[in-house]
This record gives sequence, C-alpha cells and structure tokens, in this order.
Amino acid sequence: MPLVTEAERFIRSDGPDKVTGSGRYVADLSLTGMLTAKFLYAGVPHARITKLDVEPARQMSGVFAVITQDDVPERRFGSVADRTLFAQDVVRFEGEVIAAVAAIDDDSAQRAIDAIVFEYEELPPLTDLEEAIKDGALLVHENWESYAAGSVVRDGNVASFTSIERGDVDEGLADSDHVITSRYVADASHAAPIEPRGVVAQWEGDRVTIWSSTQVPFQARDGVCETLDLPSNRVRVVVPHLGGGFGGKCGFHYEAHVAALARAARRPVRLVFSREEEFLAPDRRREGMIVEITTGMTNDGDIKARKAKVLLDNGAYSADSSFFPHMAAMHAIGPYVIENVSAEASSIYTNHQPSGSVRAPTAPQGCWAVESHTDELAAAIGMDPVEFRKRNCVDTGRMSATGQVFDEIGLQQCLSDAVDGLGDISNLPEDESIGVGVGWWGSFPGASGAYVKIDSDGRGVIITGAQECGTGSVMTLPILVAKELGMDPDDFELVYQDTSAAPYDSGATGSQTILNNGRATVEAAQQVAAQLKDLAAKELEAAPEDIVLVDGRAHVAGSPEAAVDISRLARIASRGEMLLGRGSGTPAEYPSAVGVSCVGDQDLSWWVGPQFSCHAARIRLDRDTGVVRVLEVSTAHDSGVIINEVGAAGQVEGGVLMGIGQALTEGTVYSEDGGQLNPAFLDYKLQTIADAPRIKTSFVEVHTPGMGPHGSKPIAEAPNVATAAAISNAIAKLIGRPVRQLPMTAERVWAEARS
Amino acid sequence: MTFTRATTIEEAVTAMAAGARPIAGGSDLVVGARQGKAPLPDVLVAIDRIDDLRGIETSGQGLRVGAGVTHAELIGNETVVSSYTAVADAAALVGSPATRNVGTIGGNVMNASPAMDTGAPLLVLDGHAVLKSVDGSRSVNMADLWTGPGRTSADPGELCVAIELPPQPERSGSAYVRLEYRRAMEIAVVGAAAAVTVSEDGTIETGRVALTAVGPAIIEVADASVLMSGRDAKEAGAAAETAASKSATPISDLRAGDDYRRHTVGVMARRAVKAAAARARGETIAVPVNRSAGVGAAS
Repeated sequence: MPLVTEAERFIRSDGPDKVTGSGRYVADLSLTGMLTAKFLYAGVPHARITKLDVEPARQMSGVFAVITQDDVPERRFGSVADRTLFAQDVVRFEGEVIAAVAAIDDDSAQRAIDAIVFEYEELPPLTDLEEAIKDGALLVHENWESYAAGSVVRDGNVASFTSIERGDVDEGLADSDHVITSRYVADASHAAPIEPRGVVAQWEGDRVTIWSSTQVPFQARDGVCETLDLPSNRVRVVVPHLGGGFGGKCGFHYEAHVAALARAARRPVRLVFSREEEFLAPDRRREGMIVEITTGMTNDGDIKARKAKVLLDNGAYSADSSFFPHMAAMHAIGPYVIENVSAEASSIYTNHQPSGSVRAPTAPQGCWAVESHTDELAAAIGMDPVEFRKRNCVDTGRMSATGQVFDEIGLQQCLSDAVDGLGDISNLPEDESIGVGVGWWGSFPGASGAYVKIDSDGRGVIITGAQECGTGSVMTLPILVAKELGMDPDDFELVYQDTSAAPYDSGATGSQTILNNGRATVEAAQQVAAQLKDLAAKELEAAPEDIVLVDGRAHVAGSPEAAVDISRLARIASRGEMLLGRGSGTPAEYPSAVGVSCVGDQDLSWWVGPQFSCHAARIRLDRDTGVVRVLEVSTAHDSGVIINEVGAAGQVEGGVLMGIGQALTEGTVYSEDGGQLNPAFLDYKLQTIADAPRIKTSFVEVHTPGMGPHGSKPIAEAPNVATAAAISNAIAKLIGRPVRQLPMTAERVWAEARS
Repeated sequence: MTFTRATTIEEAVTAMAAGARPIAGGSDLVVGARQGKAPLPDVLVAIDRIDDLRGIETSGQGLRVGAGVTHAELIGNETVVSSYTAVADAAALVGSPATRNVGTIGGNVMNASPAMDTGAPLLVLDGHAVLKSVDGSRSVNMADLWTGPGRTSADPGELCVAIELPPQPERSGSAYVRLEYRRAMEIAVVGAAAAVTVSEDGTIETGRVALTAVGPAIIEVADASVLMSGRDAKEAGAAAETAASKSATPISDLRAGDDYRRHTVGVMARRAVKAAAARARGETIAVPVNRSAGVGAAS
C-alpha cells in the first residue's frame, strides 16, 4: 500500500502559485538595469566560418556587450569534450551559438545581432546515419581524437559505441526453428516543456547569481565554473518555478553565456527563448534511431538468441549522450530471458541538433522497436502476444539476457494487471484492437544531501538540493520527513533549487529524487528524531529508545497519555542544541556485470533497482485515413513501494500522454540539408488534453530493499517507456503488420495499410 | 506604428482609406507577426468594438452574421446550429477555446487561408461577404472573393462588415468534416463541406461540395449536384468522394503528402455528404461532426 494513499492527498505547496498564475518563473524576473540577451545562431547546419566581426554591433547605441568565443576561456565540455560555448571555426548544426548580445531592449538587441558580420563557406551536411559510418565519410569533427572522452569508445563519426555479448548468438540462431529480422526507424523528437528556457545573471563583485530554468542547478553551476574558470563558491544557481522539463532542461545550457554577457555588460542580463529557439538550439533532442533486431526461437515460442544493431543520431555534439548506446542496447535486448545475445549500438555524429537526455533516453523508441518485433515473433507462431511475453519475460529468480538474476520483481504481475485493467476485450468492434508492451528502466544511485531543521515554534524546513519540475519532491520530501518525526507534511516547507543554500543533488534527472534525495532527507530527519527523543526522554524521565513520535507529540511507547508536544521540545531546543539534521546516506552500489562482455561499458548491463512496466492500449483506427485514436491505456508498474500515490499516478498519466505523442504525432522533420522544418507547436504536434484517453494505473508494489526509502524505486521515467510499443502492436493487429517508423502518423499508418 | 480604435464602420473605413489595416481578434495578424510571417502593418485600426459588426440576425433574406462575430458565438447560435450547421461544425473545430473566443468570422474569411475551416461551409451555403468602403458597399460571393492563398478580391480600403447566407430550403442539411491529427489546436490537413437537399424518400435532390486545403483557395467540386442528384446518401457520398479527389490539386508539405491529401479529401467529402443528408432527413448529428461521427469520433 502506498505510504500516502490517494485518499490522504494534500495540497502541494507550489500548487496554488502555479494554478492561480501568481508563480514566478525566470521570464518573470526583473532586476534594476537588466538587459536583454539575444544570440546569433549559425542558421546553417555545416559551415566553415570565414569572417566574424562583432565591432559594428558593439558600436551601436543601447548595446552593452557583444561576445564570442574570443571573450571566454578556451574550454571544451560535454560527455565527450567536443564543444565550446560559442562556435569556433566550424559550425556543426543550425542552432549553434555564434555570438551573444546584451542590449537595452529586444529591438536594440536584434539590431545588434543583425549588425554582426558573419560570413561562412558552406560545407556538405552529414545527416544520414548509415552514410556517416561508411568508410571515407566526411567527419563532423575532424579532430575527434584530440577530445577528452574518459572511457567512451569512439571512432571517427562514431561518438560512442557499446556492445553486449553473452553466449553464442550465431549458434543460437542456427539452432532456432524460426529466425525473424525486423528494422525500425524512429524520428527525433523533443521534450517540449511549456516554459521555454530562460536565464538571468547578475554579478556582485566577483560572484555571480544565475537564475535558470534548469532541472539540474548543480550541473549548471559546474558547467559555468568549468567554462568560465570560476570556483564553485562564487557561482550560485537559483531556480524559480519550473514550467516543465521532461529532461529537456537537464544539462548545462546558456548559464555561462548569460553570465559572461552580464560580466561584460556590467549589468544584469536576461535571456528568454522563443519557442523556435527552444526547438532549434538546446542540446536536448530525443535521438533519432535505427534499430535492427534478429531473433531466433523454437516452435514452442522460446527465444533462443537475439542479435541487435542500433544506430543513434548523436547530432553535432555529445552533451550527455555518451551512455545512450549502452542504454539503447539494453532496450533492444529487452526484459527477456535469452541465452545468446549480441547487441551493438553506436551514437553517430551528424549535422543535426545534438541529442540529449529526454525523459527515459532511448527507451520509448527502443522499447517500441523490440516490442513491435516481439509481436511479430508471436504472430509468426500464432501465439497470443501476452502469452508469448509471459513465457519469455524475466521474472523473480530468472536470468536476464545479460546474465542478471533478479531478486523479487513484478513484471509478470504487471503483464497480468495491465491486460486485466482493460476489462472485457473479447468483443471489440472491428476497428478497435488492443496492444501490449513491456518495458524496463534502471535506477541511478548517487550522492545527494539535505538538511532538516525545526524552529522554535515547532515548524520545520527541509533544505534540499532536490528539484521540482514535476518530480513531486514538494510532496514526497515532506511526506518522508513527517513520517520519521510523527508530524504532518504540512508542517514542513522546502528551501530548494538553490546551489548556495542546499547540499549537492544531481537534480531532476534519472528519476533519482526519491531514490537519492529521499534517502538523504530521511537520514537528516532521523537525526532530528533522535534529538527529539533525547529531549522528550528528559522531559518524561524515560529512556530515549522508548520514546515514539506520533501526531506531533512524543511519548513513551504504549503510554500516549503522558505526552509532550514536539513544538514544546522545539522551544526547549531553540535555546540550546538546536534541532538540525543533515543527511546524505550511502548510495546503493551498481552491481558488476558477470558473464557478459561489454565494449564501452557504462554500468548499465546489470540494472540496479530496475523498474518494470506493462502498458496495454485500446485504440480505434479510422481505416480510411489512418488516424489512430487511443481510447484507453491500462498500465501496471513495478516501481517498488509507492510513497505518494497521487504523485506516482501523475507520473504515469503524464508518461502515457507523452508516449501517445511519441507514438502518433510527435516527430521532428528535417530538410535534406539538416534543418528542422517544424520547430513550432502547429506542426510539431503534442497531444492535447482533448486527446487524452482513459488511463488506468495499477502499482505492483514489490518491496525493494536497499533502494529508495520504504522499499521504493523510482517512477519518473518508467511510464514513458512502453506506451508507443503498446499502440504499435494494437495498430499492427488492425492492419496486419507494424508501422516501422515512429511517429506512426496517420499518413504512415494509411500508407502501410494499403501497401 | 499607429493604432486607433474605431467605434463605427465609417470610422474604420475612413482609416482604411488612409492606409490602415483592420484588426479584430488579431489571431492571424498578431500571431503571424510573432512567427515572422509578416511584420505588423504600420497603421492599424481596431474594429473589435464596433457594435454594427456584432450580432447574428435572421430575416426573410436569411442570415446576416456580423464580421466581428466570434467562432464561439457561432457555435452558440441556435439558427446557425440548426440551419447552417456546417458553419457551426467548422467554428467548433477552430483552434482552442481561447482562439474561438477572439477569432472572428470576418477575420477568417478575409485572411483567405486555403486551410480556413469556415470557408468551405460558407461556399456550399452560398455565403456572400458584404464589403464596405468610403465609396460604398458591395456583396461578393465566396468563390469570387478568394483569389489565392491569403489573397482576396477586396480592395485594401474595403472592410468586410458581414457575411450573408440565404434562407435554407426545406429538407436541407449541411456538414463540415476535416482531417485532423489531434482534437484541439489543429489546422485542417484537408476538409470538406457539403450542403444538400433531399426529396421525401431521402434521396439527394441538389447539393454542393467544397474542399479545404487542397488548392490555392477553398475550391468547389464542379457538378456535385448533378453527380449526387437522385442518389441515396451512400451513392451520393461515393460520387462526391471520387469527384472531390479528382478536383483536388493538393501540395505535399509537412502536414501531408499530395496523394494522401487527394485520398483523404475524398473521404471527408463522402462523410460530409453523408452527415449533411442525415441532417436534411431530420436526424440529429451533434456539432461538430468530427466528434460525433467523423475522424476520431468519441467512443
């Protein structure tokens, strides 16, 4: 049962601000003397800069600063250190920043941008993944070998490579009764948060405060320190309310550009992106992908071997994409018991916008491919696809394709629950069908810290590095602390999203808030609880270990009549040793993969704290037009014990809606030379609330020790894994075969149906 | 830039004679400027507070819809819904509640987008635009008004003050159906409107069909009446489907390829004829057809 059930829901502390419109976001900030920032972008996907002269812009009235790479330290950054803040010599995608301007107002800034002399010689753009890996292909980065890249395996246009090998895949295929090969292509897509990003920077002496719409303020701070050569204690990143992120606001984006502008201008500077900039410029596009999977199986439907090859569109730079091939390889293998596997995945440099973490990177497309393929396997031997999965999916004690034996997991239960959740599906109309997909996703243990204090009136504050871009931390952290202290979640306020106030946290990334910051916050609360028990023990003349904290009071276990209010203890503490807890805790260790050989290992072959899910979709197809309408999605998730049911259900519902968009309407369209053709919401079609199906959610609460507090596992990204797969399989049932390109637009469904 | 607000039609057309461009809801002009399609005109005259542009009136001459009537008002008007139903179908599909509350029929008509939703319904219902300038007034039928994408036969000094629609005969009905990939904030990929009259036995007597987003302007399917006359709704729909696909001269763009558009505009035409005929027979098909019987209808 969830720690806090839906019936016990309460108003989240940032809710009224956001619902009434009184909440302040970065674009709402205004500082005395503040200037407007604008960027000059490359505008072409691939070119050599022949002339860049900003002097005419600098001479203009109302213009306070114009900067280029010449005005910042020579520093390369990224998971492969392949880029600089501003373009240098060569531009590699259309949204690359050439120069930045700070001016008195928008018009002045635009005039300055227009006055910059920017000349270039166009180079042929590289946009096709399969062309890019051919011998003799043009290199996106001629000097790729000189970049620092840690352990990332690279070669020319291959920005990152991973292979996973176990058993003997050729023998396994040779021993199979059926061998089926499928190829799937996923278009790139976008996180598309409703708030375009904004950054404000203000210097006071040699210290800078940066307000940024980032999901990861500490990472943003570190990026500023690295690229502008500053110590961490002179850079403070503060995040006002965030208008969504979906991974798109992970990473380090433009905080350094604006800080450098503000320093040069000697004034506060504000950058706010237009929607078009939000589409074109950040290195956070969901990667396009080509997936080829070959599976061998017996006549009885036992999978014997799987071979997979995945090509990912890295785009021009490697923001955080170096781990994507390993992740994609895991999704191409899928949560199946397979003795012989061989998977290879490469992230390929192109002259497209750089790819980066968008909610569950590589998973929706990878899962869509492998799960569509799975239905093809089941169809080939006439087996029910749910039955086929039950037979082949991992389970408690069963060994995965990479040799991992799982402790108790709930995938098989998820399969049953999700399908059952659709109700009677025996007599669907002829234009309706159901499809099922299963998915998996890992957890990412890491360092995180928090403070908890209770002031003299008995009210508490949680000072945390955690983020709120939809993570639900404003609800879950007070829940966790209140549970330890026998208090109410409403007794606590959060101080958060401020790198100078709180200890480190990696931010709203990798579904890690409850897992890591929850652990830290609980530890901090436990210290306060121990202090309260000591104080109560003195007041009640009892032993501290006999004291319990319940309903805002402390008493000896079993003797609630003689109790002391926590607020009274707080008053006593305020005059002496104050109620202050600090927590960090020890992150769970990554298991080391045994029995599987990996090239380019990124610690992902063996999941830690894996989450499993099954989504079952009921759709209707308009056969005349190919328009698919999703009528119902029934989901089941093993994310361990659920902390906050309302928050968890919200994650699933949002994930499903995002998944429907990826399945049917959301895809970036490129021109032949690598420019985005639909960087706007009219033609990059998100799902609207009018499109939302009925969504049913069931939590398979497997108590998972050693992960998040109370036996929990993460839930933020897992709901964004299996929806497109389920929809694909439902479509395939109606038209006889899968639509092999994502998104499965109406036109593609129609074309496939009549081919 | 100068911006004045007219309170009478005379003030507005006087300003226009001096070079001003009219603005009502601004849902095309302002949004277009922000998207960089065209800068805002230097001189604007606001027409959103002119009482004479408001209101929907019924008389023996039919229906007169003030140019400043919003899409939301069209959907809420009983006469529009009962007798000029295709217009209501179209108005109900435009954008979002916010768009429908500020966007006006006059703006939609004069913006002359080939993807406009109210255009095909107005064409098949024999709508006329009443244009006024300092020199006088004239009435132009829709086919003569739209001359190309974003172009009309109106002079720069002419203001569309109303749309007039003739009385609809007995046993008539109309419908507009469009292809859409999602259910809000959508633009027509293709669309079709049909207006028909049926005989007592339910067969089609006369009818017109017009198509959205498959040519430089809203286009009418020639000879639709002849093709459909004497046939039941199903046969008439099939005839309209074939004729619509033949009449279409679609482009390929981001939203759809030309083959797909040519095919689906036929499907839309068939569905529009079917819905229009059902309404003509007195059956109730709720507005908009897209939600009750068309693409992606509710479960």
